[in-house]
Amino acid sequence: MLRIEELSAGYSAKPVLNGVSINVEAGQFVAIVGPNGAGKTTLFKTISGILSPSRGRITFDGNDLLAIPPAQRAHLGIAHVPEGRQVFPSLTVMENLEMGAMTESGRRDWKENIERIFQWLPVLAERRGQFAGTLSGGQQQMLAIGRGLASSPKLLMLDEPSMGLAPSTADFIFDRLIDIRKQSGLTMLLVEQRVAEALESADHGYVLEAGRVVLEGNNETLRADDRVRKAYLGM
Amino acid sequence: MEAFLQALTAGLLIGAVYGLMCVGLGLIFGVMRVINFAHGDFMMLGMYTAFYLFTAAGIQAVFGNAVGPFVAILLAGPVLAVFGYFVHLTLISHVSGTRTASLEGEGHYAQLILTLGIALILQNGGLLIFGSVLASIRTPLSSSAWALDLSSDISVFINKARGIDAIVSLVIMTLLSLLITRSRIGKSLRAAADNPTAATYMGIDVDRAHRIAFALGSGITAIAGGLLATNYPFHPFVGLEYVIVMYAGVVLGGMGSIIGAFWGGMTIGLVQQMSTLILPTQLQNAAIFVVFLLIIFFRPQGFFGRMVERT
Repeated sequence: MLRIEELSAGYSAKPVLNGVSINVEAGQFVAIVGPNGAGKTTLFKTISGILSPSRGRITFDGNDLLAIPPAQRAHLGIAHVPEGRQVFPSLTVMENLEMGAMTESGRRDWKENIERIFQWLPVLAERRGQFAGTLSGGQQQMLAIGRGLASSPKLLMLDEPSMGLAPSTADFIFDRLIDIRKQSGLTMLLVEQRVAEALESADHGYVLEAGRVVLEGNNETLRADDRVRKAYLGM
Repeated sequence: MEAFLQALTAGLLIGAVYGLMCVGLGLIFGVMRVINFAHGDFMMLGMYTAFYLFTAAGIQAVFGNAVGPFVAILLAGPVLAVFGYFVHLTLISHVSGTRTASLEGEGHYAQLILTLGIALILQNGGLLIFGSVLASIRTPLSSSAWALDLSSDISVFINKARGIDAIVSLVIMTLLSLLITRSRIGKSLRAAADNPTAATYMGIDVDRAHRIAFALGSGITAIAGGLLATNYPFHPFVGLEYVIVMYAGVVLGGMGSIIGAFWGGMTIGLVQQMSTLILPTQLQNAAIFVVFLLIIFFRPQGFFGRMVERT
């Protein structure tokens, strides 16, 4: 579904990503793990079009994504739940969800989507009239996820949903994501620093270090790998 | 007492029009964070557009002297909205929005010079085309008044033209706030203002949102300008006089708050008219800025400003 080939990108002459190739098949849950500064967020920004790559190709459902303007990419079915949540603080919870549903499919499926989102993340239903800026970090993260789901995406991209959250809140959000995945079969691409949790639930994983994919494989291969066990799983 | 009520009424009436004028600028500033120094001159163009629509385009002949001016003024709104749309498309979009999002200062330096340049072109171009003679949109309503008898010895006069100006302002303000708070476009404008990057992730074309805001803001200020022109004569450099009031109103209301800009403008109208009770008329504008400083001293974020950090 999403195919990234030999992608190089960065903010100035020095590339943050260096020849990265990643493949996400329809229905898969793919995790990209790696330390801070490995280029995970840069990769997501390039997929969403906020950054232009210096080299490489990205195709989504057979379309050349790089030829499509950034604001059009969401309409193809890519939902980006960004790093640091980035909800719209002066809009209410409900209005934030409506913004997620700006896509055609999101508008069409609004009724069913909102029902399911409220079922998965009931706190959003309770706080629907509240300004998003007044929510706690965990609630904002749930809103960001709900906002992504409201677009009826084909691919949900999650950029560090656990960032800056208390461990128990992060655990709760992970559990929700796994439920959502189980019940909807949605294709997901997750970037995470919490390597153990990410690899546990993913079908396929990539380890990104200093802008390069240093390791890839299904979750058993990765979890069995000595380097991963030592560096990320603390075993 | 009578003088006080009379000044209060005059303040409320002019305040409603100032409010509308500020909202036009507030919309542009709130959504785009672009400081448009040419906004007063957009308003000047709005005044002349209404003037020529009324006198030369036959509206006077069709609608007469009482209704005609207001028809012309309301039509000047869409005309200036189209003008604003193209100014954004051809000029402003090159120094704002996604194109400059990654630059230092987000392109504010270039915006400053560009909008000052547009202001100069409009002022001098206006002088060339419209001439330096004072113009005004004449209606018999500006020289007649409704008398409100509050008691046997107190009565307040409401200038008919100013009364209608205030009503038109309030109606447009209500429509605009419905548009901003309820409609899909309005919500996407606010989302683009809150976080342009996240808005792009939602599939909102931020540059297009900016263009809509710029066009709307230009049209609204043009209507406010036309309304002012029923009572105040104007000339090609009139924008300079108002642009400072506009910015004061937007800052008072709270940067980024569209409804706040209306109350900021209203405050300025009230202060301006009430100050005549105790101060000579020449000090009207000085009074505005003394009150401005006082309010900003105690409430730096303005009436409706948010102290929330942008994410």
